[in-house]
Amino acid sequence: MSLKDTLIPFKAWGNLVKKPVTLKDPMREGAPRYRGFHKNDVDTCIGCGSCEAICENEAIVMVPAEGIETKDGDSGLRPLVDYGRCCWCGLCVDVCTTGSLSLSNEHTWICEDPEELKYIPGIDKKPWDEKEEGWKKPVPNYHFYGQERVSMEEMEAEERGDSFIEFVKGYSKEQAQKEADRCVECGICVATCPAHMGIPEYIKAIRNDDIEEGMRVLYETNPLPEICGRICTHKCEDVCSVGHEGDPLSIRWLKRYIADQVPSDKYKEILDTQKIYKGDKKIALIGAGPASLSAAYYLSLLGHNCTIFEKLDKAGGMMRYGIPEYRLPYDQIDKDVKYIESLGTEIIYNTNVDAAKFMELKENYDVVYVGTGLHLGRSTAIPGSDHEHVFQSIDLLREITEGKEIMVPEKVVVIGGGNVAMDITRSIARLQKIKYGKVGVITTSLEKEEVMPADREEVVEAREEGSIINPGWGPKSIEIEDGKIKGLHVVRCLSIFDETGRFNPSLDEDDKNFFEADMIVESIGQGMDISYLPEELKEKIEFGPRGRINVDDYFQTSLDWLFAGGDMIQGPDVIHGIANGHKAAIGIDNFLNKK
Amino acid sequence: MKQVLEKLSASFEIEDIVYQRDDLTFLSAKKENLINLITHLRDIEGFSHFVLLSCVDWIEDDKFQLTYFLNKPEEKYDLGIRCMIDRKEASMDSAHHLWKQIATYQREIKEMFGVDFPGSPGVDEPFILEGWDNIPPMRRDFDTKQYSADTFFPRERPKTNDPKEYMKEQMHPGEWGEYRKEKK
Amino acid sequence: MSLLNIETDRSKYPVKGEDGKLQIDLDSHKYVKLWQGPNHPGVTGNMALELTLAGDEIVESKTHVGYLHRGFEKLIERRLFVQGLPTSIRMCVAEPDSNEYVYSTCVEQLSGIDIPEMAKWIRALLLEMARLQALLRVVPGQGGTFALGLGVQWGVYMRELILDRFEELTGGRVYHMFMTPGGVRGLLPGGFKKRMEENLKEIDQFVINIDNLMYSNSVFKKRAIDVAVLDPSWIDKYGAVGPVARSAGYNRDVRKDYPYLIYDQLDFEPKVMNHSDIYNRSRIRWYDIQTSVDLIRQIMAKMPEKGDIKAETPNVLHWRIPKGETYVRSEASRGEYGLYMVTDGSDKPRRINLRGPSYTQAVALLQDLLVGANIADVAAIMVSLQTCPPEIER
Repeated sequence: MSLKDTLIPFKAWGNLVKKPVTLKDPMREGAPRYRGFHKNDVDTCIGCGSCEAICENEAIVMVPAEGIETKDGDSGLRPLVDYGRCCWCGLCVDVCTTGSLSLSNEHTWICEDPEELKYIPGIDKKPWDEKEEGWKKPVPNYHFYGQERVSMEEMEAEERGDSFIEFVKGYSKEQAQKEADRCVECGICVATCPAHMGIPEYIKAIRNDDIEEGMRVLYETNPLPEICGRICTHKCEDVCSVGHEGDPLSIRWLKRYIADQVPSDKYKEILDTQKIYKGDKKIALIGAGPASLSAAYYLSLLGHNCTIFEKLDKAGGMMRYGIPEYRLPYDQIDKDVKYIESLGTEIIYNTNVDAAKFMELKENYDVVYVGTGLHLGRSTAIPGSDHEHVFQSIDLLREITEGKEIMVPEKVVVIGGGNVAMDITRSIARLQKIKYGKVGVITTSLEKEEVMPADREEVVEAREEGSIINPGWGPKSIEIEDGKIKGLHVVRCLSIFDETGRFNPSLDEDDKNFFEADMIVESIGQGMDISYLPEELKEKIEFGPRGRINVDDYFQTSLDWLFAGGDMIQGPDVIHGIANGHKAAIGIDNFLNKK
Repeated sequence: MKQVLEKLSASFEIEDIVYQRDDLTFLSAKKENLINLITHLRDIEGFSHFVLLSCVDWIEDDKFQLTYFLNKPEEKYDLGIRCMIDRKEASMDSAHHLWKQIATYQREIKEMFGVDFPGSPGVDEPFILEGWDNIPPMRRDFDTKQYSADTFFPRERPKTNDPKEYMKEQMHPGEWGEYRKEKK
Repeated sequence: MSLLNIETDRSKYPVKGEDGKLQIDLDSHKYVKLWQGPNHPGVTGNMALELTLAGDEIVESKTHVGYLHRGFEKLIERRLFVQGLPTSIRMCVAEPDSNEYVYSTCVEQLSGIDIPEMAKWIRALLLEMARLQALLRVVPGQGGTFALGLGVQWGVYMRELILDRFEELTGGRVYHMFMTPGGVRGLLPGGFKKRMEENLKEIDQFVINIDNLMYSNSVFKKRAIDVAVLDPSWIDKYGAVGPVARSAGYNRDVRKDYPYLIYDQLDFEPKVMNHSDIYNRSRIRWYDIQTSVDLIRQIMAKMPEKGDIKAETPNVLHWRIPKGETYVRSEASRGEYGLYMVTDGSDKPRRINLRGPSYTQAVALLQDLLVGANIADVAAIMVSLQTCPPEIER
């Protein structure tokens, strides 16, 4: 120790002449990334509750918010943040499925009552609502769940273009689990699914590799999972919360995955239906489509004896005769149908129910359920549409299924923009490929590309297979020369609906086009055929707008012994039919119990 | 290090060797061999740094797992030695004579898990919990949340809603839930 | 000097009885029982020392903890892996980033996830900044234990500067929660490096000022040199790590010995000394400040500008980890800071156990080191071991 050691600390006195570093009030603002109080863009938010799920402090609760309506894809709930619990970690922002939630950089809020320190961001106005700065979801490539859908293995267009073999191969276990992992379990999809299937639950079963539990969840609400897993219109995927920032979950393929894993002979064991109670009530169901099959399944579980009367020689209705085999192989329909049959339902094939037969059924059965669907094709009624080579898509599809030979010329024009139009387009394309080695189908629809009712992937795949999809044209007339079809005249379609929302296409007559064709297929919708209803009953049944039969919540018509469901009531699609059938089964059971 | 382990496994009945990382290996030893094993590792094999003594409750197997972490500074190598002991009247030989800090670990484990280390200094004195009158709190069957709710004055969490259930109520009242109505 | 050396009357001191324990009869009025803490300005946090004094010399010391037990390890057992992060950091207030690093790395290792290069650099930067801000508090704090409060004021200001940078980068000042399992939550904001460099320049000056104020200060030297000397054989015997071990001649530094993240790409040599008294234990941390400053500069110069910040992870809401266990360590300012994690195949950890340096140093080591020390030096000895009670009882 030296004199230096004694003196040198006094250098610190030099600080007396330095400027103080103290911060003066008011405090400076938080940094641009500061994690302060929450903000929420309530119009973007869908109330999926992922923020609540990730919050480790249970600081977030989902509550109904004023001015927010519950609708498909939006639960109507919004997060309420309790600052007595929040630790400002911001994980809620990072996980937010829509990106609506963020934190402002405001960090001071003083109030006397601790219960005041909670609010619904975006609903309860706060001074920091408009502040730009604060914590936002990190970029780039920072995600708390997979953004991209696990791609499904499919046959290439060249490979599948000339065959009716199913081209979507289905998920493997690894793929299914990876896809199932992306689910945030919000359950928003359930309300939108017409059958209200337990979607989060069966996806969870896939994650847990518990196929049996998955099967049980499926059959709670849907007795046709093999079918639905392939061709469902998957409205659930349209509202999937994961789809807001990434690809929606592949809910349909996951359903198919579960059903594909279980062999037919295990069904009864897994679903615990080896022994079911059978009562003495008899129900006649007309048409072996999804609506009747679903109703028969649930009625069997409820202890009733069901008999289905089918006009054709196989079950499935539109699922078999309307949907081409490359999308839904017939053995998968058989698998679902056989299980329903095994529970005691009898299907009587090749039986056309007419008015006389109908009255007979009324006499012999406790309840009659009709699920006869929409099997009458609608015509455009344009000049020339009465030509013998103008066909209805629904008739052609049925004939293809029945194995009949249909007319397949080199040039075909299909009118229509829905899934049925795509089905016939792709079926004819396949037949042409087999016959001529090349494809010559043009499909045109009133709707523009963006609003075509067909599923997007149907349009894309049809094009991959060589068909030309040329939407946005209104058919004017069919040109016929020497008794042969030359082609279709069309004009540009500007809009389909008028201001009042009615179907009233407006056409631009100057913008013309001509599609060459030897044959024309109309696929603009179907109507129902209820000619089997005896006239005296028709008078007693109440009909609603557009000729639909009026039914109550349980699909009971104004005649208490007559129930109706499926495409003729709601839809048209398989899942509505299934939902109707299920509900009607409960309705029928209630009715029979009261009787 | 593999050779050392092979040599040891002959004399100390080592099993379940897991090479977790290049510098970390886990292995299991029997209760009666454990103190001998770590003494050997310290004195002969140069594992001079004792890192950690930890306890894991495998309630479903009715076992406690004690994990002794030893580190060899010269080779930069870690060994995690597992020892399974019965959960009922759990007790283990004390190792406090090998490293001074072990007494602290053993005292904490006694308090938090209820594993006794007879002879360890101060092992029966409360370490963290004074006047504790419940089961040892780190055991899996001790419910922290329930204890907190019973003991303190929890502030009520506002009522929350499940999106699925709420949507059902709002959009389709009475429609779900009746499903799966079966008569067996 | 010899004038100050007063021979004490050793006959009044307690002797060991047959059971090997000191025979202390408080009724004899020869001894005083004194509790230092849990609330005491000289105690680093909530911890109590039960001291038995003969005159002003300590004859027996016992560490008592339990004043801030929050049961974090237990709480994390009932949280999802991603939810464990905001809880785990609170196990050490002074340097929460080490918790983030070891926790996230355990999760990543057990799920077999490699984080992107960019994330590694940012994690290293955060860890070094965390070490620096902790050292900026503890180095002048050593002067504080000798009533030299001026350096503490300086240090607090310097630490605030680093906290400003933390706030800018991570959105939080003290608890950063930036190293989520799988990566980090953002890139450096624009202009960060420039502002950081300005702060580092101020810290360079602070290092000189502190040297003048403390380490060249005759009073400080008188109080610190040759006080509470730690025998090198005690290092392994008591499990001492970090600066305490390095001051006693053990060249142990996790960053060097088990290079994690990108530390193998950095050029540094931890300081080692051969005489562990209060002075050197504090001095070595003063060198550590310079190492950290240098490392921050190196990291900022070498790190890539852009890159992915997060690896692909399972959905955090149902992230499951197969049965397994691991131990991950990092070098905190106090030394080896490790986490033992056991998983059981569920979406929550089966057990996590933190190994903080103070667990050994502030209980077993401190108790024995205090025997024979003067009552006036207790606070200084505690700080020289950089005691942090939260990591003892978690």
